[in-house]
Amino acid sequence: MPGWTHKTDETVQHMSDFVLPLPKHETAVAVHGAAVHEHAPASSLSRNRVGLWWFILSECFLFLAFISARYYLLGLERPAELNQALGLGLSLLLLVSSLTAYRAELGAQHGDRRRLLRNTATTILLGLVFLMGVGYEWSEALVHFPPSEAFGTVFFSLTGLHAFHVLSGVVLLALVYWNARRGRYDSGSIWGVEASVKYWHFVDVAWVFIYPTLYLVR
Amino acid sequence: MPLVQAFVFAAIGGVFGVGVTVAGRVLTGREAWSLEPVVTVGYIFALLGWLLGIGVWDQWAREWLGLPVEHRQHRGWARYFAFTTDHKVVGVQYLVTFVALFLLAGLLAMLIRIELMAPGMTFMGLGTYNQVMSLHGIVMVAVAVATIIGGLGNYTVPLLIGAEDVAFPRLNALSYWLVPPVAILLIGTFFTGGLDTGWTAYPPLSDVNAAGQVLFNLAVITFGLSSILGGLNFLVTIATLRAPGMGWGRLPIFVWSIFAASLISLTATQFLAAGLMMILFDRLLGMAFFRASAGGDPLLYQHVFWFYSHPAVYIMILPGFGLALEVLSHFSRKPLFGYRLVPGGFIAIVVLSFVVWAHHLFTSGMSDALHGPFMVTTELISIPTGLVFLSALGTLWLGRLWLTTPMLFGLAFVFNFLIGGLTGIYLADVPTDIHLQDTHFVVAHFHYTIVGGEIFALFAGIYYWFPKMTGRMFSERWGKVHFWWMFLAYHTTFIPMFWAGIHGMNRRVGDYPAELGDVNLFISVAAFVMGGSFVVFTANVVWSWVRGPRAVANPWRAHTLEWQVASPPPIENFPATPVVVGSPYAYGVPGAVHAVLTTAPAHTPAASGGAQAEPAGPALAADSA
Amino acid sequence: MVGRGRKHALWVALLWITLTVAGEAVVLTFDVLPPVAAEEGRVVDAAFRLLTILGMPVFTFVVAVLVYSVLVFRSRGTPEQDGPPLVARPLIAGAWLVATSALSIYVIINPGLTGLAELRTHREPDVVVQVEGSRWQWKVTYPRQQVTSNKELVLPVNKHVRFDVTAVDVVHSFWIPSFRMKIDAVPGRVTTVHVTPTQTGTEAQDFNLRLVCAELCGLGHSLMSLSVRVVEQADFDRWVSSARTATAADGERQQALAGSRS
Ligand code: HEA
Ligand code: HEA
Ligand code: CUA
Ligand SMILES: [Cu+2]
Repeated sequence: MPGWTHKTDETVQHMSDFVLPLPKHETAVAVHGAAVHEHAPASSLSRNRVGLWWFILSECFLFLAFISARYYLLGLERPAELNQALGLGLSLLLLVSSLTAYRAELGAQHGDRRRLLRNTATTILLGLVFLMGVGYEWSEALVHFPPSEAFGTVFFSLTGLHAFHVLSGVVLLALVYWNARRGRYDSGSIWGVEASVKYWHFVDVAWVFIYPTLYLVR
Repeated sequence: MPLVQAFVFAAIGGVFGVGVTVAGRVLTGREAWSLEPVVTVGYIFALLGWLLGIGVWDQWAREWLGLPVEHRQHRGWARYFAFTTDHKVVGVQYLVTFVALFLLAGLLAMLIRIELMAPGMTFMGLGTYNQVMSLHGIVMVAVAVATIIGGLGNYTVPLLIGAEDVAFPRLNALSYWLVPPVAILLIGTFFTGGLDTGWTAYPPLSDVNAAGQVLFNLAVITFGLSSILGGLNFLVTIATLRAPGMGWGRLPIFVWSIFAASLISLTATQFLAAGLMMILFDRLLGMAFFRASAGGDPLLYQHVFWFYSHPAVYIMILPGFGLALEVLSHFSRKPLFGYRLVPGGFIAIVVLSFVVWAHHLFTSGMSDALHGPFMVTTELISIPTGLVFLSALGTLWLGRLWLTTPMLFGLAFVFNFLIGGLTGIYLADVPTDIHLQDTHFVVAHFHYTIVGGEIFALFAGIYYWFPKMTGRMFSERWGKVHFWWMFLAYHTTFIPMFWAGIHGMNRRVGDYPAELGDVNLFISVAAFVMGGSFVVFTANVVWSWVRGPRAVANPWRAHTLEWQVASPPPIENFPATPVVVGSPYAYGVPGAVHAVLTTAPAHTPAASGGAQAEPAGPALAADSA
Repeated sequence: MVGRGRKHALWVALLWITLTVAGEAVVLTFDVLPPVAAEEGRVVDAAFRLLTILGMPVFTFVVAVLVYSVLVFRSRGTPEQDGPPLVARPLIAGAWLVATSALSIYVIINPGLTGLAELRTHREPDVVVQVEGSRWQWKVTYPRQQVTSNKELVLPVNKHVRFDVTAVDVVHSFWIPSFRMKIDAVPGRVTTVHVTPTQTGTEAQDFNLRLVCAELCGLGHSLMSLSVRVVEQADFDRWVSSARTATAADGERQQALAGSRS
């Protein structure tokens, strides 16, 4: 039976996937040769991108919590008074706004400032209309299922949480617009645009889950 | 100076928020003043003001608005009171703040023990007891979640992976500066009716109690935000900023543990925020999440809360594992045993931690059908946890054990956490948990895992890196006094708690049957003795920091990167990006080298220029293969 | 080197076995559990003892290696040499994984799932008691006997009792330590727990014969306790009839009160 230890030189062999037993004078080779192209720290742009994805993953969990609250409290129940037409309309509105946001990013990528500005403005506008729609929806909902009972609780918290995200997206896009006006993206560093647009897409996708959760399940 | 500005801005924000709320209430025809909404909105604006004042405006917001930015760098002591982006400063800020909070919450524990010395309400009223106990709990939980990650993690992770700083230095500073408001709010609960729900804040009690609850919720949501951002930062830092050659298979184990814990912070914490937001909605907007009479369900909260708070115990302990293994390896002068298995174990723990939450609900009245499955998943966690023990014991085996203060704490960790973990099995087992739930058996279990586990590991880490962080040596003799004093008093305090719990000692009670008087008296006396050990610790740290002998760069002769630079390290950490060529733990292997540090400037085209542009992906794959 | 490793391993094995035998002996001689007064409580106690017995070898193994290493492998002062660079052989890692998995799975099955199954098999209850927690007192109602009390909980010995537990304001928890049984009292739900008392007794004889609140419910949580008395069936019947008149009188008084108010 093999013991717990190996003889020393055997050990070094065994350990070769464990450490690289490089003698001192060979380290220079490592610096300029093999080791360097193995792996290197990432640029700030790719760092930002990775960070944004982690952030979006984190946000998913927030929505997940509230969405699961809906199923936990109400199962698949849904009141008849929901304004289906409005719900559908709002959903379409958001989908279109994702398209314009995408075009804004394309504009930025091509250094086309006018296209960027036009599409950003449209997206902001669609976002604002969406928010107004939510406001109208709320005024109706207050009558049928006020927040003091279970469905109202779920409805207002989910739509409210989402509307808050839309609002923050609008603010970000407004910043993009402001900076684009002043030509800050012309130099080719368009991370601000990219990030805001990705965030906007995320807010849309969140709605894609919230909409059926509130309006469609049964 | 920035601190003064922050307070002023916070005051302005607070006043503004209060004004807006009052105006809004008047306009919608409600009574002008209502404490809870006013406090909530006031706090949100005060927080914004605080952050802008401390430096977010100068260093960040101006850039977003396209305004000219001048990056002020504070020097000397002023750095520690400003929005500083150097990860080493942020680490020290975290560490000092949370050690101070630890001592504060420890004093609250002393108050708890004074009251529990004898049956009957002897020292404080019932209400005060609940408040003191709850505050002790929540402050300690914050300490447990953030001290190792935020303090030691911030200081050492960039050094350990050979980076200049974390991925998002400003976000890092933001994470820290979200903490002081949390502390202020939590202490503020005392002045707004108190917080009397324990750290778990179960509704409906938390829906109907005094306004202190609102402060608690706001504080914990803020703290959650801080720990989400902190987790995000570590994930990106570790994923993208490793020095050339630092593959996933060469990461020091502490870095791995921070990575695993950050995965949990990033995701699960949102559930904590969600649960506390639901309570706020119930209270402020009259919603019905937890009001059974209106179709809500109190158990919803317990599910949401534990979906975070169970994984959170692994946010606490994973860095403890990493730290203990790190220390054991360096001071046994042996490679970390089973290095390839342990990260796997960490990841398995992370994954499993998301599917065990309902073991806190075995007696809650949830569906019986859930008992079996959650018992199974919970007990399975002992398997990946067992790998940590395999690694610890294998590392010690045939080593040359250098019994310094950090090593003693590392060894104690293994012993203490073993007791904590094994008693967890009694709680995971439904038949026994039915009796033990909400008794001092549970209290003893988690003081064993958190205090005996994480806090001991924290002290191992503090002593281990003290020379690196301060440039001074601590007194070994007093370190050892601290260790033995704390270790012995600790066990004397908490072992009898298991007994008390089994014998009918409830949790969260200021008064209890006379028959339990003796054991509680014994525990209290031991707890006071334990408290004394921290006087030794504090004195040793303060004295050594000011007067201790200068530390050399590598007093422990450790192989990892942070020891290869001066103590304390220069601002940019390394003169040039180091190149990693081997394992961090290659003790006993002749000629083994972990990394090569050149003194050439960082941006020679040969060394890093070409490599910078390469995406990280393929290299990672090659490394871990 | 090889020989030395094996020698150490033998010593540790010896230490482990000694510690285990000693530990198990202690566990089997000294019982930490307080007196149990219900059939269901015996299931809990059996599970507790089994877990202790099964956990002991794990505990002693870690302690044995730890203590042995500290005593034998410690270096006096700064170590001049490094230790041997051992790697985790697949054999050792595998054996550890298999052993811990096997133990873990065994524990899940016994006492976990078996105990759970035992606790879930319920007979038809002989007595039903509705328990209502409110801040900060317990009210017990015997619907079949038409008795209500907030002074004490009286149970006939050796009879199967079902408790239907609920709460009116916040979450409380029903716990009788001597029965080892606990269930939360949750507003808007009725939770049940089954108990078969096996011994007569009063709180004065066994301080754990008390229905105590085990979930923090605010100011009076510590004081929310109701004493439990387990009696022979005849005594129980006697108590029921005397309590029934008290309950009825109580009801009349309440009706009168309500009447005078309207
Ligand atoms: C750092 C914190 C930490 C850690 C790591 C753990 C780890 C574990 N905990 Fe603990 N726990 C808490 C902190 C922690 N806990 C807190 C704070 C509470 C109370 C919250 C409150 O209500 O306020 C709590 C409560 C708690 C409960 C609920 C009790 C109740 O209220 O009724 C349960 C139930 O299952 C539980 C179980 C476990 C288990 C199974 C583990 C496992 O991870 C342990 C695994 C480890 C081992 C088992 C030992 C090592 C393994 C081996 C040597 C391998 C071989 C072993 C076997 C095969 C068994 N814990
Ligand atoms: C990190 C986590 C942590 C730590 C370290 C501790 C440390 C201690 N805890 Fe605590 N505890 C919790 C987390 C923690 N606790 C939690 C989460 C709860 C649950 C709350 C709830 O139910 O909601 C709890 C609850 C809890 C209870 C149960 C209360 C109840 O249910 O009624 C008790 C009772 O004894 C207790 C005791 C102690 C003691 C004696 C210590 C000791 O180890 C403390 C030792 C430290 C000190 C004594 C500091 C001394 C400081 C000085 C002497 C000052 C020196 C300063 C200078 C020189 C400047 N704790
Ligand atoms: Cu009722 Cu605690
Ligand atoms: Cu848990």
